[in-house]
Amino acid sequence: MDKRVEPMKGNDDGLSHIRVIDFTGELGPYAGKLYAGLGADVIHVEPISGDPLRKVGPFYKGIAGPERSLQFLYYNGGKRGLVLDINKENGREVFVELCRTADLLFESFPPGYLEGLELSYDHLSAVNPRLVHTSITPFGHSGAYTDYPGSDLTCLALGGFLFLAGVGNDKPVRPPDNQAYRMAEAYAAVGSSVAVLLAQRTGIGQFVDVSCMESAAMALENAAQYWDLEGVNRRGRGREAGTATIHPCRDGYVVVVAIMGTNKVMWEPFVEWMRDEAVEEWEVFANPQWIDPSYRSSEEGYQIFCRIFERFTRTHDKAYLYERGQTHRVAITPVSNGKDLFENPQLKTRDFWREVRHKSLGESVVFPGAPYEFSELKWRFGVAAPTFGQHSAGILGELGYSARQIEALAKEGATYVG
Amino acid sequence: MLANMRRALEGILVCDFSWVGAGPIATNVLGQCGAEVIKIESVKRPDILRRGEPFKDGVGEGLERSGYFANRNPNKKGIALNMNHPDAREVAARLIKKSDIVINNFRVGQMEKWRLGWEDVKQLNPRAIYVTMSMQGTAGPHKEYMGYGVNLNALCGLTERAGFPGERPFGTGTNYTDHVMVPTHTLFGITAALLHRERTGLGQTVAVSQLEAAITMAPSGALAYAANGEILGPMGYGDAEAAPHGIYTCLGYRKWIAIAVCREQEWQALKTVMGEPAWAADDKFGAMATRKANEAELDARIEEWSKRQYADWLMEQLTRRGVSAGIVNDARGVVEDLHLRKREFFAYLDHPVVGSTLYNRAPIRFSKTPLEMKSAAPLLGQHTTEVLTGKLGYTIREVEVLIASEVLV
Repeated sequence: MDKRVEPMKGNDDGLSHIRVIDFTGELGPYAGKLYAGLGADVIHVEPISGDPLRKVGPFYKGIAGPERSLQFLYYNGGKRGLVLDINKENGREVFVELCRTADLLFESFPPGYLEGLELSYDHLSAVNPRLVHTSITPFGHSGAYTDYPGSDLTCLALGGFLFLAGVGNDKPVRPPDNQAYRMAEAYAAVGSSVAVLLAQRTGIGQFVDVSCMESAAMALENAAQYWDLEGVNRRGRGREAGTATIHPCRDGYVVVVAIMGTNKVMWEPFVEWMRDEAVEEWEVFANPQWIDPSYRSSEEGYQIFCRIFERFTRTHDKAYLYERGQTHRVAITPVSNGKDLFENPQLKTRDFWREVRHKSLGESVVFPGAPYEFSELKWRFGVAAPTFGQHSAGILGELGYSARQIEALAKEGATYVG
Repeated sequence: MLANMRRALEGILVCDFSWVGAGPIATNVLGQCGAEVIKIESVKRPDILRRGEPFKDGVGEGLERSGYFANRNPNKKGIALNMNHPDAREVAARLIKKSDIVINNFRVGQMEKWRLGWEDVKQLNPRAIYVTMSMQGTAGPHKEYMGYGVNLNALCGLTERAGFPGERPFGTGTNYTDHVMVPTHTLFGITAALLHRERTGLGQTVAVSQLEAAITMAPSGALAYAANGEILGPMGYGDAEAAPHGIYTCLGYRKWIAIAVCREQEWQALKTVMGEPAWAADDKFGAMATRKANEAELDARIEEWSKRQYADWLMEQLTRRGVSAGIVNDARGVVEDLHLRKREFFAYLDHPVVGSTLYNRAPIRFSKTPLEMKSAAPLLGQHTTEVLTGKLGYTIREVEVLIASEVLV
């Protein structure tokens, strides 16, 4: 495992002129993290009961605790933390003051909840007209399901995404890491930055409504068009031999895209590879029938492909198959688990992983690093995720609250000073 | 004020060399936000997705019938420019001089070959934001490695956990990273660079590593291994925090319902909808932890009931009582879904060859600058004359000469 301790922040101040209020929990935090990664001033607001994500495993060293949720520590890295009870009048006042100073608010409350507290976009924009208020919810603020309860699984299902994650009559499987939430967060970050850009130019903010179900429906590849143009309800890729099929090897699985459509030029390197490895029956792959997608999709084609290819793959590790296949210009990759990712030489060479010291744990935790590189902006993980209430006093002080007032707010339970 | 508030990215010009998947999805979103996107192709090198299924009425002739291509490219203007012709660079350079964003997803080195790498583009237009997308970064031992979306799904750790325990992993059944991680990070990188340019006046490069972008949105496996040496296994359709949490068979052809029970009152509500069966009163289903411990039996019991029910009715009854429940919609179900129709998620746009066909907007609803779905995907070269004479200062005569000399083809 290779880890890099983050260098001190240089002269670059990135998006430090943008202030983001992130009042989200299990749904929402990656949106704010994208901003924190480019230097924006992101304040993560938590209810007095704590961000529910703090209760979600896996936990550091497998021991549950509010400062030990690895996902909380990852998604809220680079943010400062403020605890606020907006069910209390003085908590609401602080929230309004905070929004007065902000460019962008992310929240993931059910539609209508903030309105009931007189904290809806209409209220907040009256205080700060340039505020961009972005809501991330399962179904959005209009339409037939807006008041329905939603979860990651049901949004993936309703959005048509899950139907693709299976073949034939098989039940679908679910991808890890709450992908309906992640997709919505990513699009919320994008839509918000477009709105913030406009607000910087015009002084006028707006309300941005992002739903998980729509985000899932954005990722249907060509399935909606299959229905519209051909009247076909397609399912997942994964049973057309050599075209995105998964095969067992000695220590796990590999996925191979040896051909797409009728692309013979793509298939030839695969046949050469099989020949070079002296794979038993490799000559079968030289038969032109493999160029025909209908043969590869047939039960016979799939079974023969698996018989020959897997007799070979089962005797090798995924790392070997990856390197040897790629050397032959075959698009083969390992089905990585966490260990494979940490041992991945490419990620190691690129110093991808970031080690961040967490005082509350007395240890450092390793996180994924930068998704992109710029010539001017600098990506950074930023400060360790806030402990509960860590920056409450500091942030309230910046808003003009005196030490005595902060103490009173804490005493009344409107905030928690960590 | 309101007149120029109609489109958020009004006045932003995109010189779009990108093709196939992630690049065109990113510029599609920019176009919906009001940017003007000029898509560069050539009959000698069309976007290969034009040959990708599905096709209108299943007929795959020509380059104008692919729905796969179309849904990534609405609202764009298409110009035919044969970049391998030595005179093509001048046309591209004129466009780049006016562009805010120059984007490609070619292999590293292709743009440099045309003398349109960042060093060249910076000379032409220092305000340009120059976007590249490599598979695994531009340096390192695997920088030349090949892969498609399904490869990246697997490489980034997503596929390993998307399977049933004891079976081979499955994944999403799509080129997931191409549709989600790569275009969204590209878009956020672009808009961040635009925000930065507002202050500095300078353009810059945005280089997305597809693998690294993918890992940042599916981090659990790596987090758990790094911290605990633990390998998280396949999760089927389950969830560590919820039970029941699954996909249950209903009446009809490939009909299922997804149900997620995260709280005690939701379990009580589910029992009510099931008609308070005796088995559900057993202590082993009395608490989240015990339901989790007996999950296989729990799921089988629920399915005994659900398989005699209609999925849409179940969804209605369960959501009304506060239980997260959703039909596992197939594509038809999504397209016809009442909620999405009310939110105008899909649009039908007219196209000269295939007529009125289906597109979806990005999942973003702006209150003041709504996304626009104006025009169907361009025919190859549909706007060549319009763009060259209207925007780049060429005369009709010059355009004709460039067509005849196979520059604008």
